[in-house]
Amino acid sequence: MQTREAQTENPSRERILERIRAGLRTVVPQPAPLASDRVIFEPVANPLERFQQECVSNLMECALTADTAASARQLSEVLQSLPAGEIFVQDDPSLRRLIELAAPARAIRWSSEGAPSEASQATITLAEALIAQTGSILVTASCGGRGASVIAPCHIVYANTAQLVPDLAAALGRASEERILDRNSFACVISGSSRTADIEKILVQGAHGPRRLVVILENGS
Amino acid sequence: MPCFVDQLLPEVAVDTVKVLRRVGYAVEFPEDQTCCGQPALNTGYWDEARPCAEHFVRVFKNADLVVCPSGSCVSVIRVFYPELLAHSPLREDAISLASRTFEFSEFLVKVAGVTQVGATFRHSVTYHASCHGLRELKLREEPLQLLRQVDGLKLVEMVRFEECCGFGGTFAAKFADISGAMGNSKADSVDATGAEFVTAIDPSCLMHLQGILGKRRAAARTIYLASVLASQASSNPTNQAPANQGPAQGKS
Amino acid sequence: MHREIIRRGMDSYDVAHLKGRARIKDWEAARQKCQEIRREAVNHLDRYLLQFEEKVVARGGHVFWAANSEEACTYVKSLATRLGVRTVVKSKSMVTEEIHLSPVLEKAGIKVWETDLGEFIVQLREEPPYHIVTPAMHLNRGQIAQLFREKLDPAIATDDPRDLMAVARRKLREAFFAAEMGISGANFLVADTGVIAISTNEGNGRLCTSVPRIHVVVTGIEKVIPRLEDLAVLWPVLATSGTGQGITTYGTLIGGPRRPGEADGPEEFHVVLVDNGRSQLLGDSEQREVLHCIRCGACLNICPVFRHIGGHTYGTTYPGPIGSVLTPHLDGIARFKHLSYASSLCGACTSVCPVKIDLAHHLLQNRRNATEAGATKSSERMMFRAWRSVMLHPRIYALGGWSARTALRIVYGLGLAGSIVDPMRVWNRYRSPVPLPSESFRARWRKDLDAN
Repeated sequence: MQTREAQTENPSRERILERIRAGLRTVVPQPAPLASDRVIFEPVANPLERFQQECVSNLMECALTADTAASARQLSEVLQSLPAGEIFVQDDPSLRRLIELAAPARAIRWSSEGAPSEASQATITLAEALIAQTGSILVTASCGGRGASVIAPCHIVYANTAQLVPDLAAALGRASEERILDRNSFACVISGSSRTADIEKILVQGAHGPRRLVVILENGS
Repeated sequence: MPCFVDQLLPEVAVDTVKVLRRVGYAVEFPEDQTCCGQPALNTGYWDEARPCAEHFVRVFKNADLVVCPSGSCVSVIRVFYPELLAHSPLREDAISLASRTFEFSEFLVKVAGVTQVGATFRHSVTYHASCHGLRELKLREEPLQLLRQVDGLKLVEMVRFEECCGFGGTFAAKFADISGAMGNSKADSVDATGAEFVTAIDPSCLMHLQGILGKRRAAARTIYLASVLASQASSNPTNQAPANQGPAQGKS
Repeated sequence: MHREIIRRGMDSYDVAHLKGRARIKDWEAARQKCQEIRREAVNHLDRYLLQFEEKVVARGGHVFWAANSEEACTYVKSLATRLGVRTVVKSKSMVTEEIHLSPVLEKAGIKVWETDLGEFIVQLREEPPYHIVTPAMHLNRGQIAQLFREKLDPAIATDDPRDLMAVARRKLREAFFAAEMGISGANFLVADTGVIAISTNEGNGRLCTSVPRIHVVVTGIEKVIPRLEDLAVLWPVLATSGTGQGITTYGTLIGGPRRPGEADGPEEFHVVLVDNGRSQLLGDSEQREVLHCIRCGACLNICPVFRHIGGHTYGTTYPGPIGSVLTPHLDGIARFKHLSYASSLCGACTSVCPVKIDLAHHLLQNRRNATEAGATKSSERMMFRAWRSVMLHPRIYALGGWSARTALRIVYGLGLAGSIVDPMRVWNRYRSPVPLPSESFRARWRKDLDAN
């Protein structure tokens, strides 16, 4: 509810609402709704397989690992392929453990210290969910903040197969139910590395956001 | 029968009558008909289009079935007459007429139930999907079903066959440059097929396209669908195209 | 060359679009669902806008309702000057083009950086966007490289799109981290959760809405959708229709400024809801559905007229079929009615619109409305009145037809085709002359064909 003060500061608000209500008094014919048996998207039979396929078409890297030790080795490999420099990591117990195992010889800035530095070489975060239909990860502000998934040239996501949901409808439905947006000012469904086709419609990977999006997908719960 | 067919492309109507009779229908031509009103309707002059439409409805009031060799004219009658004449005393007659009016290929396939009309046309032909027939009347397969049954006809598909030819009625006069450019794009698609003929269910498209092809001395010529179907082994020697296409000048 | 660049751009869209469509099992069902979502939202616009506002305000965000361009620009400018903003980074927003926001801010001494690559390019060229989704599609890489050499760095030795992107990235990164304010648009306003949804690929929108300490959203009032779950079908459909992707890289949801405990994010969040004629359209029983538009660009991509003349020729913020239908309502019919005539009424736009707006019929309605408003040329009105008289009298029509053919035969016989005396000279500019048969069909009928 806007305060009285806000109402006097924004006199157009009432005028616009009045115009809207007046316009809506006009009756416009309504056709019949869509039959409920019409299926818009093919149901996802095997979420893990579909997620991996979509990662390929999205130009994402997805490495399936058996356990935390394997995940740590995978992380080391990725970090070794990157130029020297600070990395930014979401401050979460599972990531603390992963970093401990991987022991990268780099400066680490944790999300509890604040926003990632502009010169970060990589960011490492968890995800809220993985969406098989579109090969997407769902992150929120709780996953290290807004910049964590966009500032560095490489974004690494540490996830596990229990986080897979079949499709967007399931992911968004759950986000609503769990009131994720009451607890977070920001969420994002990410389906690849940043890209542009603004020059001659030619796809260029790595525009303003990361050029690489790596998912370390650990088996289990 | 479209007004411009009456005046400029009579063979379109002659061949339409020929085919309808061949498949066993008695054909009448009410001479009081003039124009369905499309030019005025499409340019926004509905007050001028309305009396035309009412005249049309009166002329055809007692016809069992009305067949017209033009997708755009039939669209006007079926899709727009009920709205145009919503407040006219002839509203009910218009609605009834709309349900009895058919485009030529639609009539053959959906009313007469035939796709084989005993035609022979030993040439390569590409098909242009005229906009009104395609999008207003939803005629996608019917013309192709008829063409596939023509003896000796080689059907060649062109790219972007559903793209507008650029005629658009008064659009061709008001936006002549764009209309010409769109026509030339379509002619490029026709040329790329190497077909000898391009056909369609709308003679207005074909008239515009023939003009474009003629100007650029293209190899291909236009031919209305009924003229293809009217063609028979005995009546048309294969080395001579039927007479209804555009002027002979400009051939390469 | 211009047409060739556009043609190649459109061809690559065509291929991608079909691939994108293949990911959706029942495309017609998807279209209908999207139409229903947008219709429900627009038909209860006040309710959903209020629900959205309440949730945003509860999170510490601000919602400002702007009746028109001036009010919207004034609000953003005042906010910027009050908060000491010297640099703004902008991600793509057609509404900010519509209200001409950048010039207002620049006149107040604020530097505005367009950060979407296509927008950045046209901003450097000081021209408006060519297309609502791909603003620089009318330029080739050589032109862009030359532009960057002139405006950014004379040492640029390449025209490889990847290198050009890298140049833009380096330049704009400085701006992202220096700017005090980020301005974005919104693709949707989600009422039940009170968040804005932005669909992007480049990441510039992400940076604009994460790094600067103030985030301002400028959007039209009609953008609401009822529920978060509606995005499950709207996001893929928007991406497929706009660029042929299954989904855009980033589907961002933002509901307010940073919350306590979050690592980063803006301290202030403002949503400017712009009316500018949209509420008028609600009362139009024929055309209210024009407000359902999700600005995907599919109608532009398929329109053969747009493909030939391109975005700048329209001279309006929104080009193509949606622009031709919408602009008269935003700006007044007399000034922009000509747009509704620049169409052959082929109907392709209607067939591709993902929310099933009957664009082609709306163009025709605009023509009818222009005539009824007396906004057409009197010479044309007189011509159609004469036409009507002829068509109501079969014998006059037949005589008129015969006379016209005979006259044309004489004119052409004298070799005067295309000259000032040739009434068909416009036709003859691009086409060989129409056939001039000696007998009309009705004459043939009477002579040979009447079986009775």
